[in-house]
This record gives sequence, C-alpha cells and structure tokens, in this order.
Amino acid sequence: MQHSSEIRIVAGETRKMVLLNEPSLSLTITQEEGSRLVLHIIDLGERSKVKGERRKVENDITVRQLGKDCTTELYGLAYVRGTDEVTIHTHVFHEVGRGISRQLVKYVLDDEAKGDFYGELRIAKDAQQVDAQQTNRNLLLSPKATISTRPQLEIYADDVKASHGATTGQLDEAALFYMQQRGISRDRARNMLIGAFMKDVVLTIDDEAQRNELIETIDGIVE
Amino acid sequence: MLEIRNLHAAINGKEILKGVDLTIHAGEVHAIMGPNGAGKSTLSAVLTGHPAYEVTEGEVWFRGKNLLEMPPEQRAREGIFLSFQYPVEIPGVSMVNFMRTAVNEKRKYEGQEALSAIEFLKLMREKKKLLEIPDKLNNRSVNEGFSGGEKKKNEILQMAMLSPLLSILDETDSGLDIDALRIVSEGVNRLKTPDNAAIVITHYQRLLDYIVPDYVHVLANGRIVKTGTKELALELEEKGYAAFE
Repeated sequence: MQHSSEIRIVAGETRKMVLLNEPSLSLTITQEEGSRLVLHIIDLGERSKVKGERRKVENDITVRQLGKDCTTELYGLAYVRGTDEVTIHTHVFHEVGRGISRQLVKYVLDDEAKGDFYGELRIAKDAQQVDAQQTNRNLLLSPKATISTRPQLEIYADDVKASHGATTGQLDEAALFYMQQRGISRDRARNMLIGAFMKDVVLTIDDEAQRNELIETIDGIVE
Repeated sequence: MLEIRNLHAAINGKEILKGVDLTIHAGEVHAIMGPNGAGKSTLSAVLTGHPAYEVTEGEVWFRGKNLLEMPPEQRAREGIFLSFQYPVEIPGVSMVNFMRTAVNEKRKYEGQEALSAIEFLKLMREKKKLLEIPDKLNNRSVNEGFSGGEKKKNEILQMAMLSPLLSILDETDSGLDIDALRIVSEGVNRLKTPDNAAIVITHYQRLLDYIVPDYVHVLANGRIVKTGTKELALELEEKGYAAFE
C-alpha cells in the first residue's frame, strides 16, 4: 500500500525534506511563486529477509511549479540488495515560466535487486525560460541486478533549457586497479568506490548533522 | 631484488612480451627505453599484476618471493610501486582518505600499528615539503581535475608516502613541462636510498638528464635487445630506434 500525501509550499517558502527508508509513498507537492523545494529520498534498507521473497518499495513524486521563479531540487538514492525492488518515479511539471528544476537519482544495485527510474519532465506551452536538468546514474554490482530507466521529456515551450542524462555501469576497473596498486585490497577499494558514488547524493543535504549521520550509515553499510 | 626470467605475456591473446630477462639489485636505477609498442608499459602492467595481461611463460622473483602468485595489492605491500602513465581519477574519494587507507594497509601487512589521523597528516606534510609540492590537494578527490603536472607530482607524493623498495616510473615525463619535470625527478632522486631501486620507463632521453640511470636497456619487439650505461641513451637520442625495429 502506498502512503499518499499532498504538500503545499507557499510563496517564498523554502522546504527541505529528507525521507529515509520510508515505505512506499505517493507525494504531490505544489509550489507557489518563488518557493524552493529540496527533497531527498534515500532508501538504504534491505527488506527481503527470506530467500526468494521480493519486497517492493514504490516512490512516486509529483512536483508542480504553479508560480514563477520556483526552484525544485529532487535527489534520490537507493541501495538495493537481495531480491528487493525500489522504484522512483518523478513527475516535474513546470506550469509557468522562469522555474528551475534539478534532479539527481542514483541507484546501487546488488544481488538480484531491481530498480526502476521513471522521470517525467513537462514544460508547459507558456512556461518560458525554464531551466530543467535530470540526471540518473546507476551502478550495477552484480550480473543479476537490473535497472530500468526511462526519462520522459515533454517540452511545449520554446525558450527553455532542458537536459537529461542517464548512465548505467559497473565499478571502474581502472580505479580498482589503481587502488590495489597502492596496497588497498580489492574489497576495500570496491567499498570505497561504492561509498563515494552514494555519498555524492548525501553531500547535497544542507543539515550537517543529518548529512554526517547518513555518511556514517553509508560507511557502515559498505564496510 | 628483482629477477625476471624469460617473461612472456599477452593481452587478448596477443603476445607482447617475448622473453624478457632482467635483474635489478638494490640501489640501482634502470632505464627502459624503446619504440612505441615495444612492450614497455606491458612490462610495468605485468609486474604490478594488471588483470588484463596474462603471463604465458617465465618467472618473476621479488626478494626471493614469487611475484606472479600475488594479487596486485600484495605486490604493492611487498614494496612495488607504479607511477602510472595515466593516473586514474577517483571521484568522491579524497586524497587523504585514499592515502591513509593505503599507508595503513601496508603498515598492517608489515605488522605495524595504523597511523592516527594526526600522525598521518604530519607525515603527508613532511613528504610534501620534501618534494616541494604545495600543501593543498588533501581534500580534493584523487586526481580529479588535476592538471597533467599535478597528477605526476601526486604520483611521486604517493611514492614518498609508501616508501617502496622498487619504483616503476612509467613514462613519468610524458606531458610534463620543464618545471614539473624538475620537481618530479628531483623528488625521485631525493627518495633514492641504497636499499631501494627504480625502473624508469621512457621514450625520450630527456628524463635521464635528471634521473641518471646505472643501466639503460632497449626493449624492442617484446625483448631486451641491448643493455648499456647512460651513454646508450644519448646514442639512442641521436640515432633513434630504427636499428632495433
């Protein structure tokens, strides 16, 4: 069951939210003029306790920029293991002009885990001078892990900047060898690279205590 | 210290090294020169255990131990250091974290206690001072966004931090301007002791004006075809490698 809620960010307000290891959720956020949203969805949990069981967590985020000069920052990080599945679907709607949106979604997938990123970005006909970016990076640690990534851009205005990029890959063998050549064991090197890949998202959290706690959590997971 | 006997190695089924013999003693500097594609970088990759290369024949002994049986990290901890021709960028891993992990893994291997953060930073500062490397870079990601010269200086700094017994400098001069070349080679010279040795791989004689070798070997077509002293490098500079190709 998806937990569903709506949030309204009033004109000029800045709202920062970090959602950590939440169950499935469906969130609709509306932004009024000049407001700023910084949302982190972080899923580091391992849920499937029984072999063969598939636990699925679905995150569905909709953001509507209803007023001009809004900024939306969406960050997603999922470390998915075992037979878990984590979906992150984002829908960012620029209804009016001069909005900014930044999205960075990263997956680390191990074992037989599944990931599914769907990123819808829509810029309405009259929403001129919008600046929108969407980035999705995925790291596959096991040959049986899978990721589906589907960016969906619908741009109806003509004076906008919109970009998206998605990459899926494995750990950088050249970096692993370089680290091993300095005496770092392969396992340790792997863990350092996985940690660095994940911390990149966590480092965008403003709140220092929260950020440090998550960095420690990640260190604990990868070591 | 190092004994290479009849070493053959291949990548993707193609034989690159075709019977290399080389003996290196403590205190010596050996230059390996040769035309492009002769196998110079393959030799450094094989000595350090790069997984893409397959040793098809021959032996390598390092201080009485069979080097070819060791994984790359163990070779490093035994004291083999490679200054990479193309140092790798590692986004998100800071220089301090990287180097401290490396130093402490080596210390653990040698049965020594790990350095504390303070001791480590002190050591790093000392080595930077010795090498005339500016005291920054610490919190930057390993090699990320470094200029060509910074990357090579950083290799030498890592070398200083790890105090290897055998350093392999793979085309360390490539892409360096004259100032960076001086800093890098003076660094190498300052780190030289009677107990360690170096292999300097280079295409050009220029580097050997700064790091003076005891021996110069010509590697061509997968074999060492000529060995001489530093005068051989000058001769090669003059006549080129045509005679060996």
